[in-house]
Amino acid sequence: MLKAIFIKFQNFKFNVFIIILLVVSGCKQPKRNVIRIAAAANMQYAIEEISNAFTEKTGVSCELVVSSSGKLTAQIIEGAPYDIFVSANMKYPNEIYKNELALEAPKVYAYGQLVLWSMYQEMEPSLEMLTNDTIVHIAIANPKTAPYGQAAIELLKKSNVYDLVEEKLVYGESISQTNQFITSKSSEIGFTAMSVVLSAKMKDKGGWILLNKKEYTPIEQGAVIIKRENQDSTNSRKFYKFLFSKEAREILEDFGYLVAE
Amino acid sequence: MIDWAPIILTTKLALVTTIVLLIISIPLAYWLAYSKSRIKPIVETLVSMPLVLPPTVLGFYLLMAFSPGNSFGSWLQDVFGIRLIFSFSGLVIGSVIYSLPFMVGPIQSGLSGLPNSLQEASYVLGKSKLKTLFSVLLPNIKPSLLTGLVLAFAHTVGEFGVVLMIGGNIPEKTKVVSIAIYDEVEALNYSNANMYSLLLFIITFIILLFVYLINGGYLKRFWK
Repeated sequence: MLKAIFIKFQNFKFNVFIIILLVVSGCKQPKRNVIRIAAAANMQYAIEEISNAFTEKTGVSCELVVSSSGKLTAQIIEGAPYDIFVSANMKYPNEIYKNELALEAPKVYAYGQLVLWSMYQEMEPSLEMLTNDTIVHIAIANPKTAPYGQAAIELLKKSNVYDLVEEKLVYGESISQTNQFITSKSSEIGFTAMSVVLSAKMKDKGGWILLNKKEYTPIEQGAVIIKRENQDSTNSRKFYKFLFSKEAREILEDFGYLVAE
Repeated sequence: MIDWAPIILTTKLALVTTIVLLIISIPLAYWLAYSKSRIKPIVETLVSMPLVLPPTVLGFYLLMAFSPGNSFGSWLQDVFGIRLIFSFSGLVIGSVIYSLPFMVGPIQSGLSGLPNSLQEASYVLGKSKLKTLFSVLLPNIKPSLLTGLVLAFAHTVGEFGVVLMIGGNIPEKTKVVSIAIYDEVEALNYSNANMYSLLLFIITFIILLFVYLINGGYLKRFWK
């Protein structure tokens, strides 16, 4: 009986899926004034503002796909239809360039800064307190795929506390999930990007401190234009140029990124 | 070479979940099969919900419930000193809820499919309800029990969304195979992802084949 319900349900789901697919594909015009931007999770809030400014200026609208840089890279290598990739490091854009999927070599648009953030009001975040018993979990982004996670590990090791706190680390799949662990108070404290704690949504929530940037390798955030077959790259190039413009740089600075002079 | 810890952890999680589920599901399925209570449809619906609900819904609510920043989570911590978020026990609870219909369903339909005369005969012979359940009813629905056990086990092995949301990806504690695969794909280590995936593929194939062979009567001589 259970099986019968299953099959019925699956068929139903499949039918709905086909209908939606038809509707969606019918709606889409081949000539679009839209670019699709794949952005690293730490850029979530900054890229929104940048793309709004860009749309206002040029009339080209932007679709945002936000995820960890590693996942986006895997998707792009497998042919995901993104026009621009705004990464949290240079490794992944370089990987895409090496795979001949980019129009030109990636460039650094900003340097990210790492912060230590907690939602527990009574806590004043500090590196020293991580070893305290009151801290059960420390959230960081997965160091395998998220540059901010790598930076956090490096910083912990340099500060000689890594071995003491290793057991407490919990890993978010991207900086977004890390933020979610922190904001839901599932972990007492965590490492995230400065752009997150400065965003309108998170401002004034909990307490955070900026970490000494000498303690970790600079987080060079790079971007590339993705090669798209049979697609005009004019709008993508326009956005890419805009990302390095004075206007975009000011937005990036507002979000706590450092930009090269 | 791949790290075996996620595979061992997944097996452990699936085993513990299956045992807990068996203990919970027999009384629950018994009640669902024979009760004429008015709230039965509601309980039935609730038990079946994990079939259709996205695992993320479950994961999200569990995350909210387990978080020490919320009332339930802080109560657990204050009263029992346990914290379920990012822990193996938390995963077990999540998996039990997530796989509940896969255990209850087969047992319930097995019990409903039995002729009433079996039960009645046992009662007439003076056996208690409990004795009837364990000595008469359950032995007669062995294939259903086996289906339930195996489906619950396999479904827990394949669990992803719930674990992703409440696990925290901690090696040897909450990093199960499905998460390890996701991790390796993200890190562009396709060969490792392939190893894990292939292993899961083979394991689930063997498990399901085993069920179909037994329930199809091909192995009848081993199952008496």
